[in-house]
Amino acid sequence: MMNRYILFGFLILVMFPWPTLAKVVDETELDVQVREIAKTLRCTVCQTENIWESGAPLAVQMRAAIRERLTLGHSPEEIHAYFLSRYGDYILMQPPKHGMNWLIWVAPFALLLVGGFFLYKEVKQWVRPSSSTPQQPPPPLDQEARERIERELHHP
Amino acid sequence: MSRGLQFSLVIGLLALFALFYQGLWGDPRSIPTVLIGTTAPTFTGPDVESGQTISLDQYKGKVVLLNFWASWCYECKVEHKDILRLHQQFKDHPNFVMLGINYQDELPDAKKYLKTYGSTFQHVRDIKGSLAIDYGVYGVPETFVIDQQGVIRHKWVGPIVGQVYTNLTENVITPLLNNTPPST
Repeated sequence: MMNRYILFGFLILVMFPWPTLAKVVDETELDVQVREIAKTLRCTVCQTENIWESGAPLAVQMRAAIRERLTLGHSPEEIHAYFLSRYGDYILMQPPKHGMNWLIWVAPFALLLVGGFFLYKEVKQWVRPSSSTPQQPPPPLDQEARERIERELHHP
Repeated sequence: MSRGLQFSLVIGLLALFALFYQGLWGDPRSIPTVLIGTTAPTFTGPDVESGQTISLDQYKGKVVLLNFWASWCYECKVEHKDILRLHQQFKDHPNFVMLGINYQDELPDAKKYLKTYGSTFQHVRDIKGSLAIDYGVYGVPETFVIDQQGVIRHKWVGPIVGQVYTNLTENVITPLLNNTPPST
């Protein structure tokens, strides 16, 4: 009888929807602002990761610095300007569109255009009907070749 | 394909090749910093060993060498002997100050490191990492030299050993102590 109660208790424990008791963390407006700014800044010790996604200690500290500055009343623009003044353009996930940076923005599309043009030219040449240049008739067969063909066709 | 197009394609490829080739000879440690020529951010923090507050403002009018380090950093151990040698070389100059900045570290580990490898100058704890961010630090070791007017004049990423040591002492610190511009 006792075992039944233990088994019943165990089943209740297993079936109870424990995950529903997990707390839902509400994002505050400050959290959202931190996230939005952190997403635009590069983790300087990572590979192509922003400081929101990175778990590197420096990224964690940078997120804390953003939060602290927002709490002090700094605007997102002021915070961007601060990080830019410390790390230069490298800190930005999107390089600003000025000077040599234009190369980064324009070069991929320019290369795509140039590559596409050459591809188009090549493909056009492949699919061009060969009849456009009049074909020369094959040279007439000589007697020896004609006899050989006859021989091989009728006496394989 | 016309000859003009072929020619421009070859020129474009050569230009790309030249760009990559030039990149091969660049120094990966030489990260251009926007801080050179700007006023050094001021800071206040506790001394690693004594806990006493240290402020950069105390050293106004002096050439200040800041060396960011951590006990877990291998290259910091590599340069440590030379860092002590550098301090030995300039410590008697009345206008020279050297400060270590302990970065992303635990206090007991930092203390143990200094006890093991030796220390002849003060080290500030960067508890929240804000000091490192203020100086645009990427990692450790990183070294900054601030002139007597409080302007950052030099930055080096990596250990101060060999030719780097010679360059730093002869072409940066010595001229700055003589109030002349560094030659690098």
